[in-house]
Amino acid sequence: MAKRILNGPSAIKEVSAKDSLVATLRNKAKWVRREVLEMCLAAGAGHIAPAYSCADIIVALYQGGILRVNPKNPKWPERDRFILSKGQGCASLYAVLADMGFLPVGELRTYCQLGTYLGGHSESNVPGVEAFTGSLGQGFSIGAGMALAAKMDGKSYLTFVLLGDGELQEGSVWEAAMFAGHHHLNNLIAIVDRNKLQAINFTEDAMKLEPLAFKWEAFGWDVKIVDGHSFEDMLPLFRGLRARNSDKPLAVIAKTIKGKGVSFMENKIIWHFRIPTGEEIAQARKELSI
Amino acid sequence: MRNAFFNSLYQVAKSDDRLITLSSDTGALVLDQFREGLPSRCINVGIAEANMIGVAAGLAMSGKIVYVYAIIPFVTMRCYEQIRVSVCCQDLPVKMVGVGAGVDYSTLGPTHHGLEDIAIMRLLPGMTILSPCDDISAAALAKVSYQIPGPVYVRLDRSGQPQVYTDSQADFIQGLNLLRKGKDVCIVSTGRIVNTALQVAQQLAKASIEASVIDLYRVKPLNAEMLMSVIKQARCVATIEEHSIVGGIGSAISEILAEQGQSYRLTRFGLPDSFCRQYGSRDYLHKLNKLDSDYIATAIQQSLLSKVR
Repeated sequence: MAKRILNGPSAIKEVSAKDSLVATLRNKAKWVRREVLEMCLAAGAGHIAPAYSCADIIVALYQGGILRVNPKNPKWPERDRFILSKGQGCASLYAVLADMGFLPVGELRTYCQLGTYLGGHSESNVPGVEAFTGSLGQGFSIGAGMALAAKMDGKSYLTFVLLGDGELQEGSVWEAAMFAGHHHLNNLIAIVDRNKLQAINFTEDAMKLEPLAFKWEAFGWDVKIVDGHSFEDMLPLFRGLRARNSDKPLAVIAKTIKGKGVSFMENKIIWHFRIPTGEEIAQARKELSI
Repeated sequence: MRNAFFNSLYQVAKSDDRLITLSSDTGALVLDQFREGLPSRCINVGIAEANMIGVAAGLAMSGKIVYVYAIIPFVTMRCYEQIRVSVCCQDLPVKMVGVGAGVDYSTLGPTHHGLEDIAIMRLLPGMTILSPCDDISAAALAKVSYQIPGPVYVRLDRSGQPQVYTDSQADFIQGLNLLRKGKDVCIVSTGRIVNTALQVAQQLAKASIEASVIDLYRVKPLNAEMLMSVIKQARCVATIEEHSIVGGIGSAISEILAEQGQSYRLTRFGLPDSFCRQYGSRDYLHKLNKLDSDYIATAIQQSLLSKVR
């Protein structure tokens, strides 16, 4: 079993012709969650629940054929840019990148441990990781700069920035939103991981974000709302992005559940930075068994 | 000084289309040339410095060389953490250009004073700090800043007069220039107040005290070896800076002197560790804060009369 996991989900089973892409992605997402669990258990550190709420979005983008990236050439100039601005969710990103061949799957379990390059916040020393993030808000401005550079250079790549919803409380996010709206950066897509939780509170209790779609629209953005755990919902939207007929940037509000995939972690404040112990470990492994 | 800097930078920008300038609603006149000649590469990002640094980082990660411009507190302190993480952690070619060293904006109060910038920018790994003292050095350092591959902070004044340098071929690579030689005291200064250091040296000469004057135009990385080779030839050291006495070049040099294995008499002249809530001319504020040549020359004389080393 362990060997199978280390070889990545691609090696676990090749989907038969009748299986849909959606089924494949579900399997991959489950593997990502299981791998994130084992990475964090091995390290005794890490953000599990924040990685789970955005795992399906990252799988959909990278493994649903949306992002134009090349694991053999991570710095390919024409690649789409993906920035995980909520850098604490990086364990899911590392797992997806490893499964795609950007880094060896076997190295994932060094996450956050002595001598590793797989740091606890999105570490740009990791092949395929576009930007060094973890200080909330900053990845979004970087993405705006990349989208502007694409416009200046006449390049067709898209820039995706995945933000946490709590992250939207940072003032600089709205500076960047205003900037992107003003400069008609229609090659910029912000995806909000709307799990309604932040580190120690519910967003609406700490500093409310609603009406969130209205806020983005007021800043000059188009807005779409999707189920951030449904590949059936996300894929058609993402597939249409390149042909989108609008001069505005696009905000995708992805409705998610923090801790999604492990029942006792779901929608619980305490799991932002907790690592399972004792019986919880067996229960989590059981729920994530493939 | 800022005009000389941007005129020189414009020449570079004309031959390198990777060069972009961003400003946060600053540079009404000094950026005119860019706005007219290179409009697509000169962007007013609005009064939003945190985003300005992030956008600069994103542009730099896409192959651009980015100059961001604002009054000193707003292009350093206001967006400090963005500079630290987005620019310095990723070692990007983003050049922060701040105008208004010390109390240059003498009528505008502490919101617009640049008292802490050297101290805080000095802390950032990989940061180069350039601090011209006149138009000639500003023009030269514009080109130096372009050639440095990583992040740079340039500390500017509005005016680059009077001129300190007469030779536009002067060297601005080593990190400092010896403007005047003397065996009694070695005065180290940076920025436009180098002029005051030269006046102090002249006043000391009348009292038969020979002073060296060093223009420390690159504060980081500091060329300690070259600096010490001059300092060792004098009996004592003085630093003059239009910056807080905490954390500026006086502090940087005291760190170097402390590790020399022998003691050096050091006297530091700078702005006091307080907010300057007085208004008026810059000269008036200097006098008020004991940063005028008369006060400094007298203080150095007294220091030399006491036991040396």
